[in-house]
Amino acid sequence: MKARFFWIAIGLASLAAVPFVLSQGLVNAAIPMLIAALFACAYNLLCGQAGMLSFGHSAYFGVGAFSTIHAMNALGGAGLLPTPLMPLAGAAGGLVFGAIAGWFATQRSGTYFAMITLAIAELIHALAPHLKGVFGGEAGLSSMRMPAWGFTFGTTNEVYYLTLVWVALCLALLYLITRTPLGRLALGVRENSHRLSFLGYEVHRINVLIFAISGMFSGVAGALQVVSNEAANYVVFDPSLSAAVVLNTYIGGVNVFLGPALGAALMTFFGYAVSDLTQSWLLYQGLLFVLVMMFMPTGLSGLAVLAIAAAKRHGIRAVAPAAALYLAAFASLTAAIVFLAELLGRVFSQDYKALSQAAGSGELPPVLLFGWSWSPAGMLTWLVPLALMVLGIVCWRTAGGSLRRQADAAVSNTVAAAVTAERRPA
Amino acid sequence: MTQPILSLHDLKKSFGATEIIRGVSLSLMPDERHAIIGPNGAGKSTLFHLISGNIRPNSGEILLDGRSIVGKTPQAINRLGLARSFQITNIFPRLTVYENIRLAVMRAHGLQYCFWRFVNANRKVKQQSDQLLELVRLHPRAATIAGEMSYSEQRSLEIAMTLASDPKVILLDEPMAGMSKEETAYTTSLIKEVTAGRALLIVEHDMEVVFSLGDRISVLVYGQLIATGTPDEIRRNADVKEAYLGEEVAA
Amino acid sequence: MEHLVISLLNGVIYGLLLFMVSAGLTLIFGMMGILNFAHASFYMLGAYFAYALQGPLGFWGAIIASPVLVGLIGVAVERYILRRVHHHGHAHELLITFGLSFIIAELVKLFFGNYPVNYRVPGDLDFSAFTLGGLNYPAYRVFMGIVAVSMFVAIYQLLTRTRVGIVVRSALYRPKMAEALGHNVPLVFMGVFGVGAALAGLAGAVAGAFYTTNPNMALELGVMVFVVVVVGGLGSLGGAMAASLLIGIVTSIAVGIDATLADLFSLFGARELAEQMGGIFVLKVSSLAATIPFALMLLVLLVRPNGLMGGKG
Repeated sequence: MKARFFWIAIGLASLAAVPFVLSQGLVNAAIPMLIAALFACAYNLLCGQAGMLSFGHSAYFGVGAFSTIHAMNALGGAGLLPTPLMPLAGAAGGLVFGAIAGWFATQRSGTYFAMITLAIAELIHALAPHLKGVFGGEAGLSSMRMPAWGFTFGTTNEVYYLTLVWVALCLALLYLITRTPLGRLALGVRENSHRLSFLGYEVHRINVLIFAISGMFSGVAGALQVVSNEAANYVVFDPSLSAAVVLNTYIGGVNVFLGPALGAALMTFFGYAVSDLTQSWLLYQGLLFVLVMMFMPTGLSGLAVLAIAAAKRHGIRAVAPAAALYLAAFASLTAAIVFLAELLGRVFSQDYKALSQAAGSGELPPVLLFGWSWSPAGMLTWLVPLALMVLGIVCWRTAGGSLRRQADAAVSNTVAAAVTAERRPA
Repeated sequence: MTQPILSLHDLKKSFGATEIIRGVSLSLMPDERHAIIGPNGAGKSTLFHLISGNIRPNSGEILLDGRSIVGKTPQAINRLGLARSFQITNIFPRLTVYENIRLAVMRAHGLQYCFWRFVNANRKVKQQSDQLLELVRLHPRAATIAGEMSYSEQRSLEIAMTLASDPKVILLDEPMAGMSKEETAYTTSLIKEVTAGRALLIVEHDMEVVFSLGDRISVLVYGQLIATGTPDEIRRNADVKEAYLGEEVAA
Repeated sequence: MEHLVISLLNGVIYGLLLFMVSAGLTLIFGMMGILNFAHASFYMLGAYFAYALQGPLGFWGAIIASPVLVGLIGVAVERYILRRVHHHGHAHELLITFGLSFIIAELVKLFFGNYPVNYRVPGDLDFSAFTLGGLNYPAYRVFMGIVAVSMFVAIYQLLTRTRVGIVVRSALYRPKMAEALGHNVPLVFMGVFGVGAALAGLAGAVAGAFYTTNPNMALELGVMVFVVVVVGGLGSLGGAMAASLLIGIVTSIAVGIDATLADLFSLFGARELAEQMGGIFVLKVSSLAATIPFALMLLVLLVRPNGLMGGKG
């Protein structure tokens, strides 16, 4: 328990130190990371904890966003609430819309539920461009942060701290909710909602409540984005945002409370970092998601938990070689996939088609990649990713074998110890 | 003359063209232990599903404490004081044993929508959960994941969850399935103890349990009750012997 | 009047197109319990493959080869991905097919670009089938309708009259029993998944030439298909047909209506009130046409949660 508080304190302190340690550009990138982390944890209440898979969660984020922009523009621009309290408008919007949508969606379960959430999100996505008064049409709506409580909220750092405080607060609340009866009931809904009925619970009402609370915190995330960007646009209802939160949450891992936050922060960061370098970032994210779901369903946080448990049981020295091999395998396979995707992306692009036509029919001019020139017809060009893949698979297999031998050794050690203990006279 | 706490009147249920329950009438007194026996496929589980609100009868009446419960939801029926266990263990497999019991206990304390208080802070819930676990001898396993326990331990948990809501009428569907002789003996005396002052309807195949536990026994064959009476009466009943008991009882 | 007939025809054909895609989805769900989120992606792949193969194989070759390719991809997906995660449960499978749909869309963008491609109706089908009230009715639309209807008839015959069909249906209702009787149920699953994918691919190959072929077409149609299966009842082919036609016709007719809710209110003399409220009350029905299927879905959920034709609850 004490250890947990310690790590939380360290984490918060590090986050608070960010504007002093990192460049303004990175502070700017940290704000969407925090917002995505909150959105993912809000989503996880519904999805990972209560087992209700929603594919249209951007709707609640978006409603929160627009509630906030209207609150900011209210009273002739003065704002309905002081700036630091603006996210409450998002919370209200998300809560109300979440309750209404949730009432419909939770009439069904499982696959049907997922489809309904998708359709609700699409409904609002299709409707939004037509309701220009509410959603502002193509250009969206804009506003300005008003000074309040002695701050101007004109600098990035102030917005960063505002976001940090709200995200930390909401994550704390979400965590505390898991310790309440409703939080435990969410798990019951996931495990066996049928039995809950026979224990006397009105399961539909509980589901609506959970949905509404998840919508509320999603609305706060949307509000924070609007406060930061001083603008809201109906593209926030795009299915890609709903898809992103699903991917982030599961890549991070749903069984650890901060897993989704971790996944979201990581994915958002990478999205920012590599968006200039490649057009295929979403492809990589999708591949990572499918690979995680196939081979590591507990996500990255689950992987971390496993690694720590293995290190505790066998000792770090025993586990380190396998860990290094796994990392090498991951790096190798990633390199292979990225190489292939970037190469193919360039070869199939319009620019390349024009180039090859200019060079003459049947000619395949070389592609500039990672500072080197690769010929699509050349053997080397295809050998490199192939070799990387083989290397990756070999490292993977070796690591797995090493761990298996560890486990067997541990078992036979235990057995041997037990046998000797038995043989020794009492 | 006390009123029966649960009465079934000419209950009928068909699935498509097949009639499963063909007119069952039964009265259960407030502190009676009533066993239902019958060959496989007789419709015993279906009868339980009808009473607990899982499915709706085609015709007939079910009265709980004088009130009709036909068409009510399972949760409403549970709140009216009827709790049931399931033939196929119906617990929360990936949660701990303690968590399982606590979920069953919480509802009676009115905590279903509470998200502003810690569940651990509620001492009454903790006390009752601990008590129930002690009762079924699962307290040492409180931190175990429910789905990882042995089958008979899961059955005990199932029974404990059924008792959590302090029901007036308890329906137990083959609670001893998979238990050893010792466990069965313990659970039988446990059931006797916990159902004192309550009504019990139990489906069981173990004849020793049935004859020691039941104040009255009903025999269900092909959706109809062919006999109802005290254990002795049933033992002597020729129809029952022919349809069901065969040489088992004589031995 | 002619406008109405044309709208009706368009609606029926769009509905048949929806059915071509949702039939496969419904069959796969009914048999394997998997909701294949990537099903509409197979539709998109069908269009793109047909576009790519049009050059070497010509239009007719392309629309035959494309579904075959998509079917093979479907088989590979079932065999190497879905079968692996089957034991994790339905939610897991749903998530994986969701991820797959994502990947397929990104791969399409990688190879074909993040914009529509020039997949067009071939010259020899680009004529007018008949004229109605001065408007030409494109023969290609009729062609799409014919393909859809033939497909429906073929599937129905296959399922009810042939030995393969009987095995498939038995695997649908009682997979373990069918396996106990010696049928290779995993093979059947693979086959059904592949055929379902191929059907969606055929729909794409045929429709992509008429409607636009772009990387978003999977999502646009996919959501409609989900609405169809919720309304029609998942697992019911008849329900899927009824719901597809309903949604197709209603959408198509709505696009032609320029009236607004305010017009409706004027019947009660409350036009000014409605116009004052603005917003949704002054929107034309034609603008809202895209949202009507969703409203229909929500209505069905309220009134008949199991869908129009029941099916698996």
